[in-house]
Parts: sequence; C-alpha cells; structure tokens
Amino acid sequence: MGAAEAFDREVRLFVYRHFVDEGEPPTAAQVADRLEKSTEDVEAPFRRLEAAHVLVFAPGTLNIWMANPLCAFPTTFRVTTERGSWWGTCVWDAFGIPAMLDEDAAIATSCPDCSEPMEFRLEGGSLTVDDGVAHFAVPARRWWDNIGYT
Amino acid sequence: MLAFRSEEHVDRWCETRGIPHGASFSLQQAWELGRRWYGDKLSPDWRRATPDEAERVFTDIGLTGDFWRLRA
Repeated sequence: MGAAEAFDREVRLFVYRHFVDEGEPPTAAQVADRLEKSTEDVEAPFRRLEAAHVLVFAPGTLNIWMANPLCAFPTTFRVTTERGSWWGTCVWDAFGIPAMLDEDAAIATSCPDCSEPMEFRLEGGSLTVDDGVAHFAVPARRWWDNIGYT
Repeated sequence: MLAFRSEEHVDRWCETRGIPHGASFSLQQAWELGRRWYGDKLSPDWRRATPDEAERVFTDIGLTGDFWRLRA
C-alpha cells in the first residue's frame, strides 16, 4: 500500500469512527489535529475520498455531508441503537447503519406520499416489518450524477 | 431510495410529482442490500465494490434488469 493510500485509509477510519461515536462527522481541522497534520494536508485525502465516492461534501466546502450510510444533516430516516442515533441518507443507508454497527435498531421514517409514520425494527439480524415497499427513482448507472437527489 | 406504505402510495407519489416510476422492491430486499453493502464499512480493510461485485450483490438479492446495471 502506498503512502497516499495508507493516509486515505487512516482518514476514512477516523471519519467513520468519529461519526459513529459523536453522532456527527469531524471537521477537517479535527481530522488534521487527530492525525497530527495541518488542515491543508487533509484536503488531498478528502478530495481523493470524494472522487472515490467514499465521502460527500457540502457543495463548495470541506464539510462532510455524507459518509454513507451516515448523513450529517437531518433526513426522513432516523436510526436509533443502544449506542446512539444517526440520520440515514435513504432507506438503503438506514438499514446499512445497523448492519455496519452489527446492532439491533429502530428505524423511524414516514411514507413520502401520505406522511404516515413508519417504523422498522432490526433484531438479531432480522427485519420486522408489517408492510411497506422500497422504491428507487434513479437507475443504478445514474446514482452518482446527483447523489444528493439519489 | 424511499420507503412507502404500499405500491399504491409509490404510484400516487410518482404521479403527483411527475417522477417516472423507477424500481420497487420489498423492504426485506432493502435490508439485505444494506447488510451486504455496509456490513464491513468500519473494517480497516474495507474497499469499494467493483461494478461487477456490486451487480452481483443486486442479482443475489433478486434486483435484476437494466435498472440495476451500473454500466451501459
């Protein structure tokens, strides 16, 4: 593994662990401080991770918007486990959070059509759900054309 | 990707907003997708799936057809 690849991995792991532990992503300054680098040093790995579709930044900033399945800003998917609560970017990601954490979870959302609250429970790796259907509007090959919309 | 109460709600939502109907599938399949896609995301050795690997995940859980193809 090259030096850049190793640095990217270090940054990625810190971002995800911080996001899980704190419920929000670290700033570039926090990543730099933790890895004993300058903020400028962190920009290159941030951009490489963005290009690799690992991190998504708020437009025109180095503020992490998504480290999928985690989302920094409120969405219609709230995931709660014994460790904490996070926003999932979409229902795929909402299910991805307990999968990533290997924990039971409650996922609260609402039907986009009628606004009726919906809740799903994951226990022991099994999904308990009475009804409902998932819908993806954007075909797979166009997901990253506009990941915010997707 | 959103969760709706039923296919009827998907159809009405798409029609009201002028959004073409995409792909509908069960929440169990969505959970399986989350499990397969993100289960190892905190591993130091995680790496992004290749397009072939990603399409294999979709196929394994019954998400097939042109909608789920990553390449033209």
